[in-house]
Amino acid sequence: MNARNDVLAPSAASGGHAKATIGQLSRRPEAGSLLGLIAVFAFFALLGGKVFLSAAGYASWLNVAAEIGIVALPIGLLMIAGEMDLSIGAVIPASSLTVAIISGHYGLPEIVGISAGLGVGLLVGFFNGYLVNRTRVPSLIVTIGSMFAVMGLTLGFTVLIAGSTGVSLVPSPAVKAILGDFIGGMFQVTIFWWILFAVAFFCLLHISPVGNWIFALGGDKVSARNAGIPTDKLTIALYMLSGFSAAFVGVSQVLVYQSAQVLGGQSFIFNSIMCVVIGGVLLTGGAGSVVGIVFGTLTFAIVNQGIYFTGIDPNLGSVIIGALLLLAVMMNDKFRLMAMSYAAKKKK
Amino acid sequence: MNGFSIGHFVRRPEFGAVLSFVAVIVFYVAFGGVSLGTLFGAASWVNFAANLGIVALPVGLLMISGELDISIGAMIPAGSMTIAILSGYYELPIVIGMLGVLAIGVLVGLVNGLLAVRTSVPSLIITLGTLVAVQGLVLAGSVILTGAASVPLNAPAWAKTVFGDLIHGKFQVIILWWLALTVVFGFVLHATRYGNWIVAMGGDEVSARNAGIPTDRLRIVLFVLSSTAASFVGMCGAILFNSAQVSGGMNYIFNTVVSIVVGGVLLTGGFGSVAGIFLGALTFAVVSQGIYFTNIDRNWSNLIIGVMLMAAVLMNNTFRQMALSFVPKKNK
Repeated sequence: MNARNDVLAPSAASGGHAKATIGQLSRRPEAGSLLGLIAVFAFFALLGGKVFLSAAGYASWLNVAAEIGIVALPIGLLMIAGEMDLSIGAVIPASSLTVAIISGHYGLPEIVGISAGLGVGLLVGFFNGYLVNRTRVPSLIVTIGSMFAVMGLTLGFTVLIAGSTGVSLVPSPAVKAILGDFIGGMFQVTIFWWILFAVAFFCLLHISPVGNWIFALGGDKVSARNAGIPTDKLTIALYMLSGFSAAFVGVSQVLVYQSAQVLGGQSFIFNSIMCVVIGGVLLTGGAGSVVGIVFGTLTFAIVNQGIYFTGIDPNLGSVIIGALLLLAVMMNDKFRLMAMSYAAKKKK
Repeated sequence: MNGFSIGHFVRRPEFGAVLSFVAVIVFYVAFGGVSLGTLFGAASWVNFAANLGIVALPVGLLMISGELDISIGAMIPAGSMTIAILSGYYELPIVIGMLGVLAIGVLVGLVNGLLAVRTSVPSLIITLGTLVAVQGLVLAGSVILTGAASVPLNAPAWAKTVFGDLIHGKFQVIILWWLALTVVFGFVLHATRYGNWIVAMGGDEVSARNAGIPTDRLRIVLFVLSSTAASFVGMCGAILFNSAQVSGGMNYIFNTVVSIVVGGVLLTGGFGSVAGIFLGALTFAVVSQGIYFTNIDRNWSNLIIGVMLMAAVLMNNTFRQMALSFVPKKNK
């Protein structure tokens, strides 16, 4: 219920409705993404049949959703705050190679490798946030720059140190159980981490005061700063969060697959943005919800993987995703206008 | 205006691009041990620059007008697959294939443009949607129609001469197209009123519309130009290599944005020049392809690109502030 403190604040505060009406529900940022999720699930359940609804079917798309989802959450927060981060595409391989080189190539304890891997993410995030604050250059450009730089550093150092573009790592059972195991032989343990991340992000965005700051930052940066919100620190923190989450995915990937590749992670850049947008977040900032981002990620993963359970050419999956994205974007536009005009009426 | 001065030159949008171009060459000569003769005699990076540059020109114009188009990443394979399927697989005359390429470029551009005009959604998201959709359609279309992900194409001699020949056995003929298009775009942006409109639109769209500029139509035209240019590059590639691949093209997305920004265009719109975009593509090509001629490990080229982009962005910021703060003084 606390999730209501964003766009709908005026209507919720002045309404005095004890129960959520249908109109109110439809104006919530995640309404559209829930509809999309249900439609997509029903579509593939119908075409995919028993296999899609079996445990293996669930595992196939939940595993995909979990990895993208962990990255999509902080990207969503950044987009709510009106910023972007493309560098995650380079941070994921960078962190998995850091782990593989430190613990696999040099044989140091895994805890050192994992901390270093996560540290890489935090460092890149700090760098991004600092540059965005200092230069006032659109974050798209800044993070493209850091993406290329991190990619080059990863490739250069990996070849320099390990002599090849892939490094293998055999994790100890304890670490593998926590970060890289398959539960029941098919569900990646990453799924539970994703749930944990989602709960943490939900608390951050919708319960803690920081969440309101993020919305304010995305809605109007200057006003937010004038209202006493430490916008610069908040921006840096958000970038560090997204760097950390991307690094976390990189670390768990190296533990799951027991090797790290230099290429890889590129697909996360656009996929995470698509998940977030399908989940009802506006790129222009100021609107969105964690529940919506989770729904968006699930929708994306179902389309991406579910297509293999149907007789449809798998390549058409991306046509569906493209169409969904455009549809979501247009619906969000509409819903947002409805929400805005509704709130305005109430004020009179 | 008191003639040409150094200060005057420094404030031009392409100054940063000239600087980065020279800096990269100097860096390669000093640290990579490359001889200028080998570098400038080599075709690989000029070919690379031409392919990149043809896409970068219209996308750069879009960025000057405050928009972005990333669907070009799918339009390049779309263009090459269209001509290969129509003229290669179905053996229709090459002209039909070319018209098909043109049509698909115009169509996707119209979709992008109309969506950008009709909704308040950032063009990044819109073109991300069309990027993914076109990509899927091209892949699925080629597999369903031809049963393969690569389609051969045998273009007649005249088509090869015009679009896909190698001059002196190494320089792609597309370089000439690039030079011609640069002149055309330079003329449009800097010598016609349309150019003023584009810059005005990027500076302040509402004021531009109020001043009577048909911003909606202009924006749609720019989107059509960029996706058509991308499908043109794809077509030339298919004619040159006698086959079309469904993959490839995704690299162009970031490469064009980087080369345009290195060329001194502001992503926020309202500032930039065609000469800058031209030099930006050239610089990007030298960094990414020229590194093969140096004794620097080529794996570092991405690092150089990233650092160069950051440096260019910071420089452009400073130069722009200089330019902006300089003008009011003149008026007094």
